[in-house]
Amino acid sequence: MFEIKRDENGTISLHGRLDASQVDSARAVFNRVTESCEVDFADLSYISSAGLGLLFSTQKKLVDGGGGLTLVNLSPHIREIFQIAGFDNIFEIA
Amino acid sequence: MTAVSAEFRREIEAIDEVFAFLETFVDGQEIDEKTAFCINLVVEELFTNMVRHNEGGGDQITVTIERRNDRVHIELVDVDVEPFDPETADVPAVNAGIEERRPGGLGLYLVRKMVDDLNYDYAAEDRRMRIRVTKTLEN
Repeated sequence: MFEIKRDENGTISLHGRLDASQVDSARAVFNRVTESCEVDFADLSYISSAGLGLLFSTQKKLVDGGGGLTLVNLSPHIREIFQIAGFDNIFEIA
Repeated sequence: MTAVSAEFRREIEAIDEVFAFLETFVDGQEIDEKTAFCINLVVEELFTNMVRHNEGGGDQITVTIERRNDRVHIELVDVDVEPFDPETADVPAVNAGIEERRPGGLGLYLVRKMVDDLNYDYAAEDRRMRIRVTKTLEN
């Protein structure tokens, strides 16, 4: 079960489990991101390399244009995955 | 305890069924949340890697999981495939900046970092790849 929403401020909210079978639905939203925005992980319980790869490609696109994603409300388990992957140096994590 | 085992379709979409299988095991063994997260991630990465990269593989991938004291043993078997030792996979430059980073290799890297050990073997007679990992419970 995975859901992704974008509100009027541009904040993207992730809900449920972002695994390899769900990453295409997330990609449809992230592909439309063209400027800096916040991604709220408060309701995300799980992420694998499929989701990390999508966030990475989005970040690369935004950084090339001088922007970037800000990731908020990461659970301790997901934060640890970001640290192992070295993504804590690539994203602003609030 | 006795190991539990199940066969899954060789499709990315089968990962939901794999997670349901793992959830039953985790709940039955009262495994802590952090270890459960690791088990899900490790099995997903190994399973999807087999689906994507084991060209010409059979229809099913077998997942077996067992708890022995404070350790969880996981095995994935894929038949009728070419050999591929995950230990030979490229290691991502996790300390590099975003300009130097390349996608790819991250899944197996996470697996190697999250388990105690990873063993690979390949039987040429039936072209069977087997990957076994061991994870010590976090709590």
